[in-house]
Amino acid sequence: MARITRRSFVATVGSAGMVPAAALLAAGAPAVAPPPTSHAPGSSADSPGNPGSAQTVYLFFSAAEAHFIEAACERLIPADESGPGALGAGVPNFLDKQLGGAWGAGERLYRSGPWQPGTPSQGYQLPFTPAELFHTSLRAILRDLDAQNSPFALMSAENQDMYLESLESGARDLDGVPSAVFFDVLLKMTVEGFFSDPVYGGNRDMVAWRMIGFPGAYADYFETVDHHGVKFEREPMSLAQDGKGHVHTRPDIPATL
Amino acid sequence: MIAGSRLPLGAPKDVLLACALACALVSAPAAAAPAAAAPSAASKPGEAIPPCEACHGAHGEGMAAAHVPRIAGQSAEYLKKQLDDYAEGTRDNPVMRNFAKALSDQQRRTLAARYAAMRATPRPQATAPNAVQQARGHQLAYQGDEQRRVAACNSCHGPDGVGVLHAAPYLAGQSADYLTSALKSFQQDTRRNDAGESMRSVAKQLDDADIAAISGYFSSIQ
Amino acid sequence: MQRLKEVDVVVLGIGMVGSMVAKELAAAGYKVVGLERGEARFTVPEFQSPAIHDELRFAVRKALMQDNTREPVTFRNHASQVALPIRRWESFLPGTGLGGSMVHWNGQTYRFQANDFQLATRTRERYGRSFLDPDLTIQDWGVTYEDLEPHFDRFEYLLGTSGKAGNIKGQRQPGGDPHESPRSRDYPTPPQKELFQGALFRKAASSLGYNPFPQPSSNLSRPYTNPEGMKLNACVFCGFCERFACEHFAKSTPQTVILPVLLANPNFELRTGCQVQRINLDSAKKHATGVTYIDAVGREFEQPASLVITSMFALNNVRMLLLSGIGTPYDPVSGRGVVGRNYTYQTVSSAEAYFDQDVIVNPFMASGASGTVINDFAGDNFDHGGLGFIGGAYIGAVNSHGRPILYHPVPPNTPAWGKRWKQAVIKHYNHTVIIGVHGSSIAHRGNYLDLDPTYRDAWGQPLLRMTFDFPQNDVKMSAYLTAKAAEIGKAMGAKEVAGSPREGPYTTQQYQSTHNTGGTVMGDNPKTSVVNRYSQSWDVSNVFVIGASNYPQNASWNPTGTLGALTYWTIDALKNKYLKNPGRLVSA
Repeated sequence: MARITRRSFVATVGSAGMVPAAALLAAGAPAVAPPPTSHAPGSSADSPGNPGSAQTVYLFFSAAEAHFIEAACERLIPADESGPGALGAGVPNFLDKQLGGAWGAGERLYRSGPWQPGTPSQGYQLPFTPAELFHTSLRAILRDLDAQNSPFALMSAENQDMYLESLESGARDLDGVPSAVFFDVLLKMTVEGFFSDPVYGGNRDMVAWRMIGFPGAYADYFETVDHHGVKFEREPMSLAQDGKGHVHTRPDIPATL
Repeated sequence: MIAGSRLPLGAPKDVLLACALACALVSAPAAAAPAAAAPSAASKPGEAIPPCEACHGAHGEGMAAAHVPRIAGQSAEYLKKQLDDYAEGTRDNPVMRNFAKALSDQQRRTLAARYAAMRATPRPQATAPNAVQQARGHQLAYQGDEQRRVAACNSCHGPDGVGVLHAAPYLAGQSADYLTSALKSFQQDTRRNDAGESMRSVAKQLDDADIAAISGYFSSIQ
Repeated sequence: MQRLKEVDVVVLGIGMVGSMVAKELAAAGYKVVGLERGEARFTVPEFQSPAIHDELRFAVRKALMQDNTREPVTFRNHASQVALPIRRWESFLPGTGLGGSMVHWNGQTYRFQANDFQLATRTRERYGRSFLDPDLTIQDWGVTYEDLEPHFDRFEYLLGTSGKAGNIKGQRQPGGDPHESPRSRDYPTPPQKELFQGALFRKAASSLGYNPFPQPSSNLSRPYTNPEGMKLNACVFCGFCERFACEHFAKSTPQTVILPVLLANPNFELRTGCQVQRINLDSAKKHATGVTYIDAVGREFEQPASLVITSMFALNNVRMLLLSGIGTPYDPVSGRGVVGRNYTYQTVSSAEAYFDQDVIVNPFMASGASGTVINDFAGDNFDHGGLGFIGGAYIGAVNSHGRPILYHPVPPNTPAWGKRWKQAVIKHYNHTVIIGVHGSSIAHRGNYLDLDPTYRDAWGQPLLRMTFDFPQNDVKMSAYLTAKAAEIGKAMGAKEVAGSPREGPYTTQQYQSTHNTGGTVMGDNPKTSVVNRYSQSWDVSNVFVIGASNYPQNASWNPTGTLGALTYWTIDALKNKYLKNPGRLVSA
């Protein structure tokens, strides 16, 4: 398994010099979030060997939403001595493209009413598409934090975790969305963005696959399956990489064949 | 020694000579084995020519006309396995069999590593595939063929046929004549060292036009 | 609405069952129309890799499954609740499209045992009449294992299933399952290679006195040509089996084992994108005149036919009869009626075995069915006296993948996120074996299917409503068997073993199995069954229902192998009895 180099992951810090959230609540305009601060100066955007430095062009999230999402995802899967976390892996980019695409618009979701909360066995019963769920929840979250003059990205890690735990436990109502429902979807999609094929814009440089030793989309093991107990050593491979190893992203693959 | 044995298809006379020379060299036990030092493409002056180079070239580029494959940059594991299989006979080639049997297990490893470490150099092709072959080769590489029940070559051989470690060798930039002879030998069961009989299954479903298309297509990838 | 020219047979659903039936009847000279809701797709180009090896698309977003934006199922645990739509599939994943669910199945190919087909009779005989809770409505099938044996054989040879027999004509075969009911010959291909996890399991299970054997797999161990002339290749253990289609022609699916033969027969016409609305009946409601369907463009057609075969996914078979008014719908309060009765599922649980770092599992190398299992606790293979339940499970190292979005095992009490979660994932991913417990599902009078009063599909028809929870019998069973699985995990040398027995309430939010069975139960009594022993409707004699919806209850094993046998058995009855002399094959 390739070692993750020091320069290729990013420690989690709130960005210095952040604009207060309220000022960034510009509806509709794509936002380019300032990149995390600790990459090497002068490194180019979107270079494969330096995933943490890539600038994400947000098409779905506003700048304020993006700042929350970046910081929140990074608490869900933090960078540490084993390698990058959600931010370095490009999970916010994955979320942005999924929510801004067909999945966010309600692909594969039965959307007819009437609506009732239901029992836990009956699962998700809100009328919201994923996109609507995120916008609604984030609006409530940002308004709440703004009222306390406490942007999420500027909180200490401990306070960020406490806030996320309060969402997770369902303690908050987010303009009608039980916060546990939002948290559950956020966590699920963060894991997806971390571990999915990099074609979708997350799992940059296949850092998550390297971390656990998952070889990826090329998977012929007829002979190696006989080597019981022997570690499988091979660079992970994306379904979207070409002969030179460059991964061509395509976040809008439909969820139907 | 060579008389009566089956050579690679269409081997010209000068190759016969080179092989004879190589065989003579390898008969001197152990002396011809290169040291497990830093890989270098060419031997130094005064050193005995490793027998491999005589056919596979100083840079591992192979000898297309003799259907001798390019082995530079090929997976070491794959090359080692081919040497083992030649020695054992599951890959049938009397010339390679003699070479391989004369090598110890460690020597095979060393040679395999040596060639694996070489950079695969692009080579001019003798004849390029025509447009129909190119299209058909591309189709078989990326999609396969439902009627013939063959999967896409790239599903095992990697994007653009660059090979997948522990699974399948590269095809990109390989000699077209060699690829043709390899597919033919799978088709005819003279080569039986493919995991799960997968290449034999594939080759037996292909006709000559498909084989030419595949060989031409992959050989033209730089 | 356009009325089309009459044909001999219309087959609803061209999955495995539909392909087999259509092929046989077309080959026998009948004009057959096959109506498939989904689209046609084939190994080339739709199933090719690397594109098909996309966990997010196929395993998480479920790209090959029925589109539940148009046609979900509503669900509640109990009749006292309001059923709500399953807005996203999780617990079970109905297939769609040409080839149906068998395009993306795991290839696990078992036979039910003799005991299962006469479960009610044999349970009473062995344990007495009062052993079972009276709310449990288990029944005999009306066919026996002996009736079906030649058809099991035929189906396994169609697929090329890889396995090791345990009992050939009464002779015990070493290395196979000693509990299996006698088979006439061995499997058509030898077992797949044993995985490392399987080897660990086998040694531990043997040390405890059990009888491990290789899981029968329709991901073939070597190239094979079936009796239809279809060639299959050897599976390469890619670890993208269930929920994915196979690029290598190595998984036995309708596409690889029979469809080319069917599609080449001019007696057969395939129509895809056709959503059948109902089976049409004459005014006496005793005879079907054909079906009405709506095509992809929204046009309505009537297809007249002499014989109607509904061979859709089990749940859809039940719904079709309800929408068509064939048979009396089941009423759980009175206990009367039959359509929708005895809905059952599968009681699935597991024990997770966490090993030291030096035990390297490589979970991503697997086929869908390359496990090692024991049947010592399946069915009635052990004495249930004093245990308070019937039924059982096969238990085994049956891991079929290591795809990381959905597979990243962590020990109990690991936080769900954060640094400690991440570290646990790294620590355990390559050093964990999941021991599966695949348990039977007993029939209960309160578990049933009917039509929802509120929610509709995109065509305006009522959705199927599912009312289901695990009966206490199965909860007790799961606790007992999961503990046995955990013992084996300990014997495998795991540092820590965590058993997760199945408990109620049943949730639709966690994947368990797509083995939805029952609802059009077969039997010899029209008061408690929808079809007779030949899969023929008691009420409308020119309607045959073939599917796992015919199972009176679900056994310890995956239903597909038995469904294949039931299909060949029914085809035999159609060709040699019904079509020669249409009418009721069994007097009520």
